Amino acid sequence: MTPAPSPPRPWADRFATRRWLGPVVLLGPAGVWLLLLLVLPTLLILEISLVPGLRLGQPSGGYGLGNYLQILQPVYLRVIGRSLAFAVGSTVLCLLMGFPVAYWLALMSPQRWRNLLLVGFILPLWTSSLLRAYAWAAILRPSGVLNTMLTTLGLPAQNWLNTPTAVFIGLTYSFLPYMVLILYASLEKLDTRLLEAAADLGATPSQGFWQVTVPQTLPGIAAGCLLVFISTLGDFVVPTLLGGASSMNISRLIYNQFLGPTRAWGFGSALSMVLILAVSLAIALLLRYGDKSSVSET
Amino acid sequence: MPAKQTLTFPYSRRPALGRRRFLQGSAAVVAGLAAANCRQNLAGPPAGSGGSDGTLHIYTWANYTDDSLAAAFTELTGIPVVVDIFDSNEVMLTRLQAGGGDAYSIIYPSDYMVSEMIDLDLLTELDQSRITGLDNLKAQWQNPAYDPNNAHSVPFCWGTTGLLFNREATPGAPADWDFLWENQDELSRRITMLDDMRETLGATLKSLGYSYNSSDPEEIQAAYNRLLELRPHIAAFKTTGFENELLGGDLSVSMAYSSDAIALTLEDDRMEYIIPASGASLWTDTLAIPATAPNVDAAYQWINFMLDPEIASAAVERLFFATANQAAFDQLPADIQNNEDLYPSEAVLANSEGIVAVDTASTDLFDQLWTKVTSA
Repeated sequence: MTPAPSPPRPWADRFATRRWLGPVVLLGPAGVWLLLLLVLPTLLILEISLVPGLRLGQPSGGYGLGNYLQILQPVYLRVIGRSLAFAVGSTVLCLLMGFPVAYWLALMSPQRWRNLLLVGFILPLWTSSLLRAYAWAAILRPSGVLNTMLTTLGLPAQNWLNTPTAVFIGLTYSFLPYMVLILYASLEKLDTRLLEAAADLGATPSQGFWQVTVPQTLPGIAAGCLLVFISTLGDFVVPTLLGGASSMNISRLIYNQFLGPTRAWGFGSALSMVLILAVSLAIALLLRYGDKSSVSET
Repeated sequence: MPAKQTLTFPYSRRPALGRRRFLQGSAAVVAGLAAANCRQNLAGPPAGSGGSDGTLHIYTWANYTDDSLAAAFTELTGIPVVVDIFDSNEVMLTRLQAGGGDAYSIIYPSDYMVSEMIDLDLLTELDQSRITGLDNLKAQWQNPAYDPNNAHSVPFCWGTTGLLFNREATPGAPADWDFLWENQDELSRRITMLDDMRETLGATLKSLGYSYNSSDPEEIQAAYNRLLELRPHIAAFKTTGFENELLGGDLSVSMAYSSDAIALTLEDDRMEYIIPASGASLWTDTLAIPATAPNVDAAYQWINFMLDPEIASAAVERLFFATANQAAFDQLPADIQNNEDLYPSEAVLANSEGIVAVDTASTDLFDQLWTKVTSA
């Protein structure tokens, strides 16, 4: 016996259509965007990274892991190590300098000036990062503003331009405002009644800070640190303009493989995959341990 | 260290030329950044835009065209000109290969890059019946080794690569590449070398008595070791953007293309340019039409325009490049004709040589060692 045709159910059909349509309309544009500009290019990079000795316009020798093996040479491992050192170092500096500022802004600054002070702090972000790096080059060069001030004060002049020191200064300067913004958002939500309770129960101010304030803002600290770490790991402008020949990092090395004289797209792609992997790991940590709300609020 | 120290930016007294060049340098970096961040950007202007509206899109080095040159061309032909800048042959080649082949009607590749692009079928074979003034070229550019009979390119200007230095900030005057190694401690982090693989490794080869175009792995390796020895004393590998620091005495010596160096020596008496005794590289920059270029008619018009002796000599007086055009040279004022930096004598050029494409194995070795020495 054949089943009887089911009666038409216009309402249910419309509902089914809508269930299908809703997510498509909402996610479609961003989805297409991500697919075309993130997923496909990444797959393309992955493919190119698996072709050793690739030269544009010339036949390639097929797939292989040669580009990844090349990264294992000591000189390139040192480049990766240097990039990690820049990222970790400037993250720690940003945290050490940013936390007191954010603490003061969120908890101690006069209420009516608070927003203005915050805007003042993030004002440098409104100018191009390239210009700011050039400004630092002018400040740090041997005859620059810094040495003029140091020698006026009777201190020894420093030749920091084109050294890793200049890179640390530039990176810390560039990303400090991000750290402060995230920590501020986290500290602003601090439940000060807990601090009062701790004080009532005999905690010293330093015990209160380490056992109440810090644990409560730990997700914000993790979010700020990971954001700064991710940004500095892949930064190109500051190491290029301030580091000179002394501070080849992974993003400069990648740039040189694509637009430099060697045009080793395969090796550059393999390096890019390593960077993508490192950043993805950091983002996974951020999602796992970070304070997501403080990121989305800023 | 200069005696005069102020809190303000110390070199604001520099004439407009310096600032313009500084901005060009940063524009190149910005363009580079944009291209590096986004593959989309590599395509340059949208495909076909050059042909459809009649605009002539030119892709050239920083100091080879200026507004008045473009304006003169537009006035003569009615064709608007858009100029984009590259700072190395390799950047230009990469952009053309990565989908920008139909973006430009005229490009300015250097000699060895012309050979490479001919091998890659990226250049149009020129119809010489549409070009007037080729016979004005100096004899040595009538049949250059990199492009026999100028079949794909028209020589535009030439120059050398030597050492530009600030007399007040340098212990004695350099005479040869060796100067850098001999004075490396005094000059430590006051040296810049070109961010140009064949030039910088080539100069090192030359300082060891070898050829720029060596394909002997032992010689190339020896040059790598020698450059590695100097590397801690090199402030930066830079093709542009060393001028301000050199003028200010923060840098002592920069390896530079003569066309960039000469502008600075004319601007400031303390700046001097030398062609090293053991030999410099001799380069030629050319005009060429990409194989897939739009608006080919306008491209030929531009080539003829640039070959015109009067226009070429006027451009030389403004932009200080050494023209390969004998008729244009003859029209130049005596002080430019006699400028030894711009037009060195045969004796000075005795040991110099042109950079030519080397075999694949040597290219691979150059690539590998250059990446290592800049990463160390």
